[in-house]
Amino acid sequence: MIENLHRQRVLNFLDMFSNGDLEAALSRCTDDIEFFSNAPIDILPHMGLRHGKADLLDMWKTVHARYSNMRYEIPILIAEGDQVAANIRAFFRKRSNDRVVQFDIATFYTLREGRIARIREIMDTFDLVAQVLERDLAALLAATGPDKT
Amino acid sequence: MTEHSLWRFSRALHRAINDRQYEDLQGLIDEDVDWAVYGPIDMFPFFGARHGKAAVLEVIRQVAENVRVHRFDRESIMLGVDSASSMMRYSLTALDSNKPISLRLAQFAQFRAGRLSSIRILVDTFDLVEQALGRPIHLPRIAS
Repeated sequence: MIENLHRQRVLNFLDMFSNGDLEAALSRCTDDIEFFSNAPIDILPHMGLRHGKADLLDMWKTVHARYSNMRYEIPILIAEGDQVAANIRAFFRKRSNDRVVQFDIATFYTLREGRIARIREIMDTFDLVAQVLERDLAALLAATGPDKT
Repeated sequence: MTEHSLWRFSRALHRAINDRQYEDLQGLIDEDVDWAVYGPIDMFPFFGARHGKAAVLEVIRQVAENVRVHRFDRESIMLGVDSASSMMRYSLTALDSNKPISLRLAQFAQFRAGRLSSIRILVDTFDLVEQALGRPIHLPRIAS
């Protein structure tokens, strides 16, 4: 079944990316790969919309420059036709202080001729930003009140 | 061909939220269900984890008391034998403030004997909080 093949392709792609083999991961993508993550780009400017291999590689290099170690757990992986959806639990270790950022991502892949052509991500961005900045955002919002944060 | 469990559950869920009719939904939730919506529970008390049918029905009642669904579009959907995943965009109204809210979310659902046995929902929460506050949250950029 094509679904099993696509499922394995996505798993291989994630292994390559987390191991830092960015060129190999990139080779599993189409030339016109489109990536979109819903992250707030004014705070995480390397995220957002990326188009094409060079643009994607630029974003990946930024991520790898910031984190020394990356690990994934994939509790749910669903495939149908040329699409694969993964619930990914990511563990990224910061180079700056060795603290681990842990977050869940919903990632939706679309494959074309065996390569990944589109990646869409949704995550709990409020929690991710809090972990990245190491700030309790809810407490900060409560303390500063309207129009101050 | 039998209808996938997701469609029955989806219809019943929207009926519960908008019309506060819970009868259909009750029969579509497993007694041992695991439910999780990732997000800041101190700002949105109906987020977080719930276990068991009674707790899940109660949290859906809380959602119904807080929002009304105007429209939803599925950007992606995948159906497995007893599982489903979708990425959706919702147009809601917050009932306390009458504010419109646009929400992107993804869900991973699993079914047992046609009933929901597990669901995880991920929401673009930073955007949601900004909409709820009615203003952007200004924080430092971490990289250029």
